[in-house]
Amino acid sequence: MSEIENKTENGSMDGAGECAAGEPKDDKGLGLGVIFFLGAFLICFLSGWLLFPKLLYSKHEQPFNFDHKLHTEEAGDCESCHFFREDGTFSGIPDLASCMECHTDEPMGDTEDEAIFAEEYVAKEKEVPWFVYSRQPDCVYFSHAAHMMGENAKGKMDCKTCHGPIGESTTSRPYEENRLTGYSRDIWGKNIWGIKKNSWDRMKMDDCADCHVEMDGHKGYCFQCHK
Amino acid sequence: MKIDRRSFLGLGLGAAAGIAVSPVGVKLTDDSSIWTQNWPWTPVPEDGEISYENSVCSLCPGSCGISVRKIKNRPVKIEGLDEYPVNDGGICLHGIAGLQYLYDPARVKSPMRKNGDRFEPISWDEAISLVSGKLADVRDSGAPHTLGLISGGAGGSVTALFKRFLDAFGSPNVYAMPSLEDNLSLTAATLHGAGNTIGFDLENADLVLSFGAGLIEGWGSPMACFKANSARRDRHAKLYQIEPRLSNTAANADRWIPIKPGTEADLALGLCAVLLKKNLFTPGEFFGGFNRFAAVVQKEYAPEKVEAVTGVKAADIEKLAVAFAKAKMPVAVPGKGRGDHGQNLKEFAAVQTLNALAGRLNKEGGAFVMNPDSYLAFPEASMDDAAEAGAGQEKSVGSVNELVDTLNASAKPVLNALFVYNANPCYTLRDTKRVKEAFKKVPFVVSFSSFMDETAMASDVILPASTFLERLEDVPTGGGLAKTVVGLTRPMVNPIFDTKNPGDALILLAQAMGGTIAESCAWDTYDECLEEVAGDIWDALSEDGYAVVSEGAPMGTPGTDFSFLASNPASVQAGGNGDLLLVPIDNIRLAGTAPASTPFAVKTVSDRVLSGTDIVVEINPETAKGLKDCGYAVLITSQGKARVKVNFNEGIMPGVIGMVKGLGHTFDNPYVAGKGVNVNDLIGPVIEPGSGMDAAFGIKATLSKA
Amino acid sequence: MIQNTKAHKFGMVIDLDKCTGCGSCMVSCMAENNVPFKEDESRKKDSITWMRVYKLTNGKSFPDTEVVYMPRPCQHCSGLGDHGHSPCVSVCPATATDYGYDTGIVSQIYTRCFGCRYCMGACPYHARYFNWWDPTWPEGMESYLSPNVSPRMRGVVEKCSFCYHRYQLAREKAYVEEREIEENEYQTACTTACPADAIIFGDLNNPAHQVHQIVKPDPHPDPRNHKVVGKSRNPKVFRLLERLGTNTKVYYMSEREWVRKAGDSYLDGEWDEVKNHHGSSSSHG
Repeated sequence: MSEIENKTENGSMDGAGECAAGEPKDDKGLGLGVIFFLGAFLICFLSGWLLFPKLLYSKHEQPFNFDHKLHTEEAGDCESCHFFREDGTFSGIPDLASCMECHTDEPMGDTEDEAIFAEEYVAKEKEVPWFVYSRQPDCVYFSHAAHMMGENAKGKMDCKTCHGPIGESTTSRPYEENRLTGYSRDIWGKNIWGIKKNSWDRMKMDDCADCHVEMDGHKGYCFQCHK
Repeated sequence: MKIDRRSFLGLGLGAAAGIAVSPVGVKLTDDSSIWTQNWPWTPVPEDGEISYENSVCSLCPGSCGISVRKIKNRPVKIEGLDEYPVNDGGICLHGIAGLQYLYDPARVKSPMRKNGDRFEPISWDEAISLVSGKLADVRDSGAPHTLGLISGGAGGSVTALFKRFLDAFGSPNVYAMPSLEDNLSLTAATLHGAGNTIGFDLENADLVLSFGAGLIEGWGSPMACFKANSARRDRHAKLYQIEPRLSNTAANADRWIPIKPGTEADLALGLCAVLLKKNLFTPGEFFGGFNRFAAVVQKEYAPEKVEAVTGVKAADIEKLAVAFAKAKMPVAVPGKGRGDHGQNLKEFAAVQTLNALAGRLNKEGGAFVMNPDSYLAFPEASMDDAAEAGAGQEKSVGSVNELVDTLNASAKPVLNALFVYNANPCYTLRDTKRVKEAFKKVPFVVSFSSFMDETAMASDVILPASTFLERLEDVPTGGGLAKTVVGLTRPMVNPIFDTKNPGDALILLAQAMGGTIAESCAWDTYDECLEEVAGDIWDALSEDGYAVVSEGAPMGTPGTDFSFLASNPASVQAGGNGDLLLVPIDNIRLAGTAPASTPFAVKTVSDRVLSGTDIVVEINPETAKGLKDCGYAVLITSQGKARVKVNFNEGIMPGVIGMVKGLGHTFDNPYVAGKGVNVNDLIGPVIEPGSGMDAAFGIKATLSKA
Repeated sequence: MIQNTKAHKFGMVIDLDKCTGCGSCMVSCMAENNVPFKEDESRKKDSITWMRVYKLTNGKSFPDTEVVYMPRPCQHCSGLGDHGHSPCVSVCPATATDYGYDTGIVSQIYTRCFGCRYCMGACPYHARYFNWWDPTWPEGMESYLSPNVSPRMRGVVEKCSFCYHRYQLAREKAYVEEREIEENEYQTACTTACPADAIIFGDLNNPAHQVHQIVKPDPHPDPRNHKVVGKSRNPKVFRLLERLGTNTKVYYMSEREWVRKAGDSYLDGEWDEVKNHHGSSSSHG
């Protein structure tokens, strides 16, 4: 029943009585309002913090688990697999051919994951459809060479500065994809507020710019990082 | 307890406050702005390792070296190959756009059979057995010579393999589409003896006297001409362009000499007359009535007479002749436009005679009379009785244009079967209606086209060819170049569709036919065939990607036979009626023959050439009485009528209408076809007696307000 | 403004006497930069051609007519006084286009652009194009797209970038080899495609580069017009609408006076003053 209808019904009653009976009613209403307010606040607040991130991101498991630690122990540093090509471009995630410089369709070790790799990919000559945590959108141009080898790469950055201690990981965490943008969750960062503690926690434009300002004194020009 | 307005208010406020102190707002604002930048339908090309592979473009006889840039083995760009002996890094727009041919909407994606008016896809096995069955019928009926071939590629082993197939089959009926290469061979045969061709050393000449040759319109080996032309300025060499219209070549030349269309031969002979009269010629091994020729030209082609015919002033003719004779390394170049269609032997011979009189044969910077020694070494074909009988027979007629007329004129089929390879006669030959009629007179037409073009549509079976990016092939340079370079076209990708190298299709056919035909084509694949027949140059081809077969001025000076010109052959006149003359224009941005242009090429065409779906014709404002610039007009010739738009151009001779070649395609490709009209629909052929060349340089026409 | 003493200033000079109007540069540009195409490209106002070849005539009647072809990429204006205030950059409300002080190249960032088209109005050279439609390719043809240039979407402006991605690629190689890039390592797609060798591209700040040697840019402001910097001291070289002070980095060259005059519009008598004036160091008045 609406407020207006309420008033119309009460219109036949005398004015004084309505006034006297009105006040306690209001108090009661306010109390209920506060409860409703608090309830809704709590639900929305908690959903915003807990449910929203779960809804916003879809999770994908990697094709199989990858043990970075094992590989760095066996093969050496990051650049053994994530190398620069002769033309200066960065190879990124190794393709099957690179893996097969060591691996064959016979597993070398005895992990279940390597068996999957050998059977499903090496034997079938199929590229592994890895999800790339650090994948930037198409409009971004990023030169690994400029950051690691260029004369302006003050101090010559190491992989960890942007990628974190991924080389020490023994398991592949699930890849989380933003349902709205299609970006990897690593771009915004794990923290839903986008708060970062480490240099590798976020990979948004402002994070690039912060470092550029610090190193070069200015953010750089659009084309430096966009295509 | 009562739930009232305030409760709802509380609920709303609480929800809002709850959301506000959660990350939802910040995050969604950011994400939604990103969302608006990343539409899922905007393609994201895959990144990967960059590599470059070399090949040779075979879209035209230019045979330029190309470098194909690939990303993760996926071709993304074609560029000119630096230091390649033909084009040295230069490349035309058709070559650059070559990747568009791979996914051309008009591509034939599998073998096709015509069923009524429609084509239906069939398998290669079905197609081969269908065609070989039909051919066996033709052969068994005792008329193997009624298998014909129309091909567009002048050289190379695939064309040679086609000829070999016809030889073994027992048919001499091999026809080539008109080409500069063949026109030059015929000229050389007429003047210097059979088996020769002519190359022009544009790179070294210090005065190029071009009789309308579109050196930057796609004449000869286009990029070689471009390079030579560009270097001309640095060498302080000159280019004089004789042409009725200020073409790109004329605009780029040091001098433009406007001339009435179709009178180039008269001017060339007029120049010869001046050289003879002023004794400025270099005597050589002249025979076949040189004195008679000297007398005829001085009488019939005296400067005043030539002025009346050509419109070039007598005084200018004399000056031009003297300049040509006095230049250190002059060369005269024949072949209006691209030098293929609408040419006549008289003109080619007259221009080459000018080179002979100036002593420019086989001299650096002159005209080379070359013996195009075939590098191909096919083993002896095995011939049965039918083949031997066919080999002894004469061709039905001389040229492809005469073939079309003969097909139409005869009540009985002149040909029972016809192969069409690398050609689109139903679009490219003059009076296309006539050509389509002739195709209907052939009971069984087999097309080897990559695209569903006009001729493929007029055929009964299509055995689709892989494009030049999907196959291996040897491609020799075509006409006019002063050297012969054979390039190797290499597959840059696996065939995208169910297509084959025409060589492979032919080998399959031969094997299905059995007998001596199979024995003559006893290779497992075309690639194997090429390796064998390329013989001496295979190593160079496979290692360097090309082999230079001949280079530099040939030894000795060839004799010149004057008997053809001494008989003073009549000049070809334009047919039809009307007060204006319609001439076709070669524009480098549009392909005039097969294959048709790409979407990129058509995109570059000026709106003063193509406006929406209307073709725009050029006319000098002086002639355009009652017409408006950019307005509509009706163009009428004896062949047909077209609604056109008009472009006032001061760079075209009054009385002449210029219409670009290469538009008006009618196949299924919305980016290229259905635009403008085909100039060949409006011009009928005029066959030059003797040479069989379609000499129609234009047609009389009227142009009136629409 | 960010000072960078080692800044490049990439530019080109186009020899109009060599240009044949063949269109290779246009197609090379389209193929290099993922430029799309539509069924009807004859409405030139909405036909996207970062590089467009214009036809100029001397206006004389037959047979004295002359024609030159003029390729027109983005002119990469340095703006008044060479301070980087290009006409388009100055008006962009989204900072979707900026001036690279390290290269002299004017950028265009598609994801940043929201399609107001102020820049198109501001550009005196019609070098900017708007995507009225989402680009589409016939089935399968998307597979030739290059990953080095982002395909655009409906509603954004695009233009020539001097093939900036080629600069990036050249630099990557130079980084790993720890050296500077060479002149021939960074060339635009139009330059490499030109079969007439009419386009010369390089660093206008580098005296060793051919483009510098031909243009001989005057580093000082023009004493007659302080807005103009970088005027060529070669009497055959000119720029388009030079007196506006847009300070373009695309120079043109021709032996013919009418062609050089066609680079701007002049009042009666004005041309005679301009034509003999070639930079502050020129001996002519």
